[in-house]
Amino acid sequence: MPKLERSQWYDLNRDMNWNFKYVTEAEVFPDAMSHSHGIAPAAWWSWDEPYKISYREYVQNQAEKDTGVYSVRSAIARSRLFDNLDPGWKAAIIAHYGAIAMPEYLASIGEARMGRFGRAAAWRNMALYGTLDEIRHGQIQFFFPHELLKKEPRFDWAHKSHHTNEWGVIAIRHFFDDVFTSNDAVSTAIQLTFTVETGFTNLQFLGMAADAMETGDVEFGSLISSIQTDEARHAQQGEPTLRVLVQHGKKAEAQRLIDVAFWRSWRIFALLTGISMDYYTPLVHRRMSFKEFMLEWIVKQFTDQFRDLGLERPWYWDVFLQELDWLHHAFHLGVWFKRPTLWWNPDAGVSAAEREWLEAKYPGWHDRFATYWHTIAENVRRGNIGYTHQETLFVVCNMCQLPVCGTTVGAPPRQVTHNGRVYTFCSDPCKWIFAQNPARYAGHLSIIDRFLAGHIQPPDMTGVLAYMGLSSAEQGADATNYAWAFEQSQAAAKSGS
Amino acid sequence: MATLPIQAAFRRDFVTLLVLVDDEDTIEVVAQKVAYHVIRRRLPPQDAPMRVQYNYRVLQPDQTVSQAGILPMSFVEVFYDA
Repeated sequence: MPKLERSQWYDLNRDMNWNFKYVTEAEVFPDAMSHSHGIAPAAWWSWDEPYKISYREYVQNQAEKDTGVYSVRSAIARSRLFDNLDPGWKAAIIAHYGAIAMPEYLASIGEARMGRFGRAAAWRNMALYGTLDEIRHGQIQFFFPHELLKKEPRFDWAHKSHHTNEWGVIAIRHFFDDVFTSNDAVSTAIQLTFTVETGFTNLQFLGMAADAMETGDVEFGSLISSIQTDEARHAQQGEPTLRVLVQHGKKAEAQRLIDVAFWRSWRIFALLTGISMDYYTPLVHRRMSFKEFMLEWIVKQFTDQFRDLGLERPWYWDVFLQELDWLHHAFHLGVWFKRPTLWWNPDAGVSAAEREWLEAKYPGWHDRFATYWHTIAENVRRGNIGYTHQETLFVVCNMCQLPVCGTTVGAPPRQVTHNGRVYTFCSDPCKWIFAQNPARYAGHLSIIDRFLAGHIQPPDMTGVLAYMGLSSAEQGADATNYAWAFEQSQAAAKSGS
Repeated sequence: MATLPIQAAFRRDFVTLLVLVDDEDTIEVVAQKVAYHVIRRRLPPQDAPMRVQYNYRVLQPDQTVSQAGILPMSFVEVFYDA
């Protein structure tokens, strides 16, 4: 056992900062990797993490966490828990693993970059734990779905998805490459750890763990809880990095990094979490709507941290608040229509009771979205399943890579010509992000660009599905085999309408 | 005859679509090609003529795509003139 209290040796043990004599600062910390914003080397040494941990403590904590979560997994493997889960919840976790497992593993690259190119020893020390965390999150989220393969073969998309060109994966990859896989150390600390993790995923994981337990998925709940405790620790690299920037006159740069990452997080969050919370989670187990969750955890809690650091809400705040009412409902409709392009079975989630809930949580939902679902349900009941599919591609945004949604009133979408190529954007913030650094984004081809460039052959939906890596056995179908459409009809008959 | 990809939305629908048209298609045919992907799928049909709006201007139904000056990936909106 150590003879000294941790506080007596921690800083000395951790802080290996010194001035270089045989190499230059630029050679040790190239700006492309560190992006020091011209702040003097010693100024970074004030970087101080709020959460202290030694390597001995880290290893002991992680071993205990792994013992706990793998024990739960082992016990549940002998039960029929998965078989009895709601089809909507199964959709949520199959989608989750495919969307998140590989990015968690890739996040170790961003953490390792901070572990080498962060400008303070304290930061590099913290990032080492972050690197180990993310490797653990990748491995554990490959192992759990692997153990479920005998129940559902598409759990292999936990590993497969990011090696395909499935449209949602293109969007997720584009986002994560921007904020951590291909990002410098300072920007990663602010965009990944402060914005994505502190602002979104740490809170999301808290909510998801609670939803999983509520739904009876103890295995997934314990997994997510275990990951969340790591996130809560390593996410704290962002705040001290922000403090250094703000204290040295770089508030505008810090604000810009947050504004970019917040918007990009929001788009992906609306796609994955918005749909899961409001359509896939069984109605009886929903504790709050996605909008309520966002207002409580993101709008209130996270933005309090902006103000504490002297930063402002992003300039597009009003646009963001308006989108809370409709964006994920539109994404859900598009996702469901394009279900053969998914690796999970989307739950329509629009039974009579669910529609009532949606209207109560989102006043105006009925006027805006029920018309579509009414037409779809009619087609299902008449056996016109072909009409419940989309035979062409949705136009996607050249920034977030997600469908260009909204209520059109004749105004053309936002288009920008850059070096002779036309780029389409779904929103002013996506257009603004592109304008911040066109060279970073201009070379990427959206799924639409690839289709038009002849990369997808044959140039029809068969070719599109093959290009996305989806065999007929893998393509998504309605989670309940359209039971909701017939239930609507029975409910209407009962009420005499 | 040349195939032209355009961006299209049907008024009151929720998403912009990629639609392939021919430069010799009339605007009436363009409206039908866009409606094929929306009407009876998400929106009910209406007993009214369909119109096409391009660059804030409603196009004549008998014009062709090339006559209307529609370029690749231009955006058009189709709507019922009810």
